[in-house]
Amino acid sequence: MRDVDIAEPQARVDIPETAAQTKRVENAAVFWLLVCAGLLVAVLAWLLPWFVEQTASGVGHSPMDVIISSPTGVGWVAVWVMGLCLLALIAGLAYDAFAVRTGRARPFLYSRVRAGIALLGALCVLLILLLVTTRAELVFGDTSPDALIDNAVWMMLTGFLLVAFAYGLRPWVLTHGGLAFTAAAFAIGGLFPLIFNQSPGFVVWGAQSAGIYVLLALGLNVVVGFAGLLDLGYAAFFAIGAYSTASLASGTHGIHLPFWTLIFIGAAVAGLFGAILGAPTLRLRGDYLAIVTLGFGEIVPDMAKNNLFGKTGGPNGLSGVDSPAFPLHAHPWYDFGIFGANPRPYYWFILVLIAGVVVLLRNVERSRLGRAWVAIREDEVAASATGINTVSTKLLAFAIGAAVSGFAGAFFGAMLGTVTADNFEFAVSVTALTTVVLGGIGNITGVVVGAVLVSFVIFWVLPELQGWMGTVGSNVGIPALGNVQYSDYKFVVYGVILVSIMLLRPSGLLPSRARKVELETGTESEPLAAVQERA
Amino acid sequence: MALLEIDRITKRFGGLIAVNDVSFDVDTGEIVSMIGPNGAGKTTAFNCVTGLYPLSAGDVRFQGVSLVGMPPHRITALGITRTFQNIRLFSYMTAVDNVMVGEHCRMHAKVWDDLLHTRKARTEERQVEARALAILRRLGLERYADVYARNLPYGLQRRLEIARALASGPTLLLLDEPAAGLNPNEKVELMGVISKLRDTGLTIFLIEHDMRVVMGISDRIVVLDYGEKIAEGSPKEVRENPRVIDAYLGSGASAGMRTA
Repeated sequence: MRDVDIAEPQARVDIPETAAQTKRVENAAVFWLLVCAGLLVAVLAWLLPWFVEQTASGVGHSPMDVIISSPTGVGWVAVWVMGLCLLALIAGLAYDAFAVRTGRARPFLYSRVRAGIALLGALCVLLILLLVTTRAELVFGDTSPDALIDNAVWMMLTGFLLVAFAYGLRPWVLTHGGLAFTAAAFAIGGLFPLIFNQSPGFVVWGAQSAGIYVLLALGLNVVVGFAGLLDLGYAAFFAIGAYSTASLASGTHGIHLPFWTLIFIGAAVAGLFGAILGAPTLRLRGDYLAIVTLGFGEIVPDMAKNNLFGKTGGPNGLSGVDSPAFPLHAHPWYDFGIFGANPRPYYWFILVLIAGVVVLLRNVERSRLGRAWVAIREDEVAASATGINTVSTKLLAFAIGAAVSGFAGAFFGAMLGTVTADNFEFAVSVTALTTVVLGGIGNITGVVVGAVLVSFVIFWVLPELQGWMGTVGSNVGIPALGNVQYSDYKFVVYGVILVSIMLLRPSGLLPSRARKVELETGTESEPLAAVQERA
Repeated sequence: MALLEIDRITKRFGGLIAVNDVSFDVDTGEIVSMIGPNGAGKTTAFNCVTGLYPLSAGDVRFQGVSLVGMPPHRITALGITRTFQNIRLFSYMTAVDNVMVGEHCRMHAKVWDDLLHTRKARTEERQVEARALAILRRLGLERYADVYARNLPYGLQRRLEIARALASGPTLLLLDEPAAGLNPNEKVELMGVISKLRDTGLTIFLIEHDMRVVMGISDRIVVLDYGEKIAEGSPKEVRENPRVIDAYLGSGASAGMRTA
């Protein structure tokens, strides 16, 4: 039955036979992702105070110190039970790995016991939350003066809940991977500003870097992942969205439209330009397409920098962009004021925006248009002969992808208050593409994960590293560690990410299975225009 | 008026004339085969009809409408679909998705319907899926609905390509070497499928090398050689035509056969 494969290039991947099989593999990936993310958060929480906060003995705090110093009481018991549950789950993980490796069957009761432990731990976490919020009980000792310990403790709880969720409900996660991931991602995403209550800087990162790059990755994924058109100038549409907002809501031109209409105007303008700039590239594919889009990516910020029609403010850009206000601003009953400098409303707003975009893109992915994109990606000539209008379908991919980054741009302009061409240089396109490649081209869950990871490393870890290394350096006696500008090495990080992902997992962390096989064995698609032109 | 009128079409690739001044008609309800030695220009003629290649000269009319200059997807929407000589399925889509792509040009959901998943898009999606499954059932592929096209055995891939072509509800079906690479059993099955399709009112125009298939099902045969039409007629007429025998067996062969 598989004799056809003999003639084909040796596939390095096991190709699933059916869509149901693909689903199983993807769900398993989501399960591992949740477990790993939970453990990672817990470990980071453990390490966080050690890095940053010196004690008298020269070494930093750990959450352990905090727990030991806490007063005994109901909360104290809950903390210890939760800790024991976490250890039990980690032990269970090791046992699982052992059982899988040796092919041994697990006892029947095992999964129920595991679910029970996870549930117990989760109940403890809820109890702790309840005690802390309602009775202001000092479960962890005197946490409030020390911002980082507070963060670390909440991170521990989050990490535990995540592991407990994935691990305790493993059978359910393995059948409802997408739902499980969405629930976990939005629960943690929504609580993010509360978990990091003490570090507004991190919430700013969440809104301004992680949120923006998740949107950019989602949009770029439509063009690169769904329709298979490599776009290296994606930042151009981001810029167009941001400049549209900035010129329609600032003192520069004396126009002050409300943010809630502007964000759609920004998306619409960017989408329009997506289609306009997409049109000349329709006959191209692969490297040639990449080069043309690269050109657009350079042209657009340059035109802005050269003060296009005297409207874009030249190198200084446009400043004084209006801060968004809640929709019913100035209404006597529900005036929540304007967003201003508080990062939280921005953060929650971009989370809602991401949720909306994800819902829309999920819909498209499973619809007539989504199928047409995949068909064009796989074989443009056959798609055209099957009745798909390749021109309009590709333009729609460019337009929808650009509109998503238009949202991001409009938001970005309003949040920063200033829009300059420097914000949209080539590095932005590279970052967006790196996030898509890392996360898994064509997989919405994957690119979201990729965007969060990349922006965490590039826009949080690297800038903060100097401070952390300063502490570590003075502890271990190499103060020179604190004198390095780690942010200068961001392109090294891109390089390392791209090279290692290509070597180790060419289709990304959470690959779309079809794209995975395409990437590793190649497709034979050539553009319709090339076939027609040769004729 | 014939269903498909091919009127003195010529196709040049630089200095090479692949199809030279060929004319013939395909009538409603017929099975017409096009045969000829390798490189005779059969697939090129197909590509000219389906809009993949622009014509150098001549005209192709379908139900009286000229197809010249029309993009392939509009020709499909008018009611001509095709399969390919080297199977061109969407390999990493499931069988049922492949057929659903075939229905693309019969669907009415707009971009915003797809984005917002409106009731219109949802009901249409359900109907299209049901129709796709019905087509798969008609061709005996329903067991494989969830299997990726690339994992199907060769014979079933050929059949799936026909299913995808049928999904757009064509009046004229062009098959480019549907029997290539099939084993004798599969060839017999294929002939059954083709004549069953004709019985549902479909007109079929195919390229084929396998003479048993061609002679078994064709109402009429068109023979191309070096881009020119050298014969046309019923299987019996074509089989006895000396120019056809020359083209296949080399010049003089027909004379030799007559004397033998």
